[in-house]
Amino acid sequence: MTALEVEGIVKRFGDVTALDGLSFEAGAGEFFCLLGPSAAGKTTALRAIAGLERLDAGRVRFGGRDVTDDPVQGRGFAMIFQTFALYPHLTAFENLAYPLREEKRPADEVARRVDEIAEMLRISHALGRKPNTLSGGEQQRVAIGRALIRRPGLLLLDEPLTNLDAKLRHDTRAEFKRLHRELGMTMVYATPDQLEALTMAERLAVLRDGRIVQTGTPEELYATPGDSFVATMVGAPPMNLIPGEISRNGSGPVLSLPFAELDAGRWRGAATATEPVLFGIRPHDIAPVNGERRGPGFSATVHLTEPLGDVTVIDLQASDSLVKMVLPEHEALAYRVGDKVDVEISMEDTHLFFRETGVLIPSVERPDQ
Amino acid sequence: MLRRRQIGKAGWGWSLFAGVISLIYFFPVLWIILTAFKTRADTLATPPKLFFTPTLDNFVSVFSRTMVGGQEAIDTGFGLFFFNSIFIAGTSVLLALIIGTLAAYGFSRYPLRGNDTYLFIILTTRMLPPIVVIIPIFLMFRITGLSGTYFGIILLYTAFNLPFSIWMIKSFFDELNREVEDAARMDGSSERRVFFRISLPQVTAGLAATAVFALILTWNEFLFALLLTGTETRTVPVAMGRTIGGEIGVDYGLLGAIVSLFLIPVFVVTFALQNQLLRGVTFGTIRK
Repeated sequence: MTALEVEGIVKRFGDVTALDGLSFEAGAGEFFCLLGPSAAGKTTALRAIAGLERLDAGRVRFGGRDVTDDPVQGRGFAMIFQTFALYPHLTAFENLAYPLREEKRPADEVARRVDEIAEMLRISHALGRKPNTLSGGEQQRVAIGRALIRRPGLLLLDEPLTNLDAKLRHDTRAEFKRLHRELGMTMVYATPDQLEALTMAERLAVLRDGRIVQTGTPEELYATPGDSFVATMVGAPPMNLIPGEISRNGSGPVLSLPFAELDAGRWRGAATATEPVLFGIRPHDIAPVNGERRGPGFSATVHLTEPLGDVTVIDLQASDSLVKMVLPEHEALAYRVGDKVDVEISMEDTHLFFRETGVLIPSVERPDQ
Repeated sequence: MLRRRQIGKAGWGWSLFAGVISLIYFFPVLWIILTAFKTRADTLATPPKLFFTPTLDNFVSVFSRTMVGGQEAIDTGFGLFFFNSIFIAGTSVLLALIIGTLAAYGFSRYPLRGNDTYLFIILTTRMLPPIVVIIPIFLMFRITGLSGTYFGIILLYTAFNLPFSIWMIKSFFDELNREVEDAARMDGSSERRVFFRISLPQVTAGLAATAVFALILTWNEFLFALLLTGTETRTVPVAMGRTIGGEIGVDYGLLGAIVSLFLIPVFVVTFALQNQLLRGVTFGTIRK
């Protein structure tokens, strides 16, 4: 069942178009992510849904009701801001109590519900303190508590993890998932971080220049990115995009890369003429070969190694291109900068995009099907 | 939170240096206060006396003294003048603060088309030296009957303080995190409650700083007060000016006593607000 319906919303600030006909739907109780680079319009989109920005066009519906012209206060949504936006002159208790006080709830109910939520978020010890004496994590949890205390129908989250350190970010990701599971409310979460989007979202939309590029589950977007932008936004390290050309020879279509010629049988239907393309391959689908190379692949030199702990990203240089490859840490130990290495690529999960438009070139079939 | 540095950490050399600088700044004030306790003979002694037998006579004469040739001590009216100074400065600063806060919030949060032009026009009212506008204002006050009334001088001082108050308070509102106000809107607050419960409490330090600056300006103002107040509404600076001269020349002891008393209210207000003031002056200089 659809809870939130955003239909063709447009928002301009002077000459700048922040939202350019943005549309998406989020199901009831769904954890929906808006993923996009900075200035893609994520924050504006959330603020538009909240009613904090007046729209130039488009409608926002929630629970079947058109709320486009409702004032902020009447929508019953809650929002967690990037800066937390706690009331600096009020204690943590008063911050949490604020939404209830605005509803004119009796004092005993306020006290009870603040205690409940403080316990759930483990901030009972900090209730008497002002925000500037709280740690980043405590501030974050007060902000979450203040948003949840009214049991909103829709929770909007604007990059809530950006101002936290790496360890807290990890913990809070888990916290959000737990809260979502326990409270079952519809959540719209904006983030520039694909890891957050992939780990938390049930469905996500990739934003670019105020428009939605592609919507789907994390798996769908990872496996079949609709264009080269989505391909680089989803997945880490990002997909390699290597400029090349597709053309036909006697036996079928051939993909010419600067450093290799590959069989392009999968794109047999599309390759009717010579076409400049981008060849997309994930760093996980490249592996070094021992001895003789049997499948498609190429030779390269190690340009740079980035140990990330359990895995290592190796930048390979093949002719003028840099290609990233990911290896388990113990396997990567064997490679030093400047080493020659022969690599094999598994073609099943590779993609082709038109170089001009970035649009995906559909493959005829997948060899494993 | 401000945390004071441990006392003594700066070391003797720097403490002494700071002490000497402070003394240089404070010396005129000290001199005035000392003079207030001297007899007429002591005030004129050369070389100046640092040690002398203090007397309170000067303070008594501020309020009541025997005029030359008179027999009985008569009321000088200074009680009223001190009341006038406090009442006029206090009311006009308060009014400027209230109107200034509302205007500043408006300019900061609901910018008009040509907002900066309006702000500039407001500022221009402070660009002319008071002496340039004093004649037209004097005539206007004469014609409208505002001359010599509390209402007139309070009105003038309020107008005088407004541009400065608006600009200063606006800068404090500009510094606030706007998301906090949006959070309050999400939490169900009307615009009025956002202002009173969220925005206003965050700028109290700025209001205190503005109030102190405006108060000192108004408290010391002489020119307008000289021309636009009457015998009943005269403020201390004007009354003090009229004490100079006369048959006995300059009575430094008496002037010292008036100035010492005149310092007290400003000192008390500044002292009471000092913590707020410090926060106000350093506002926005530290990243939150």
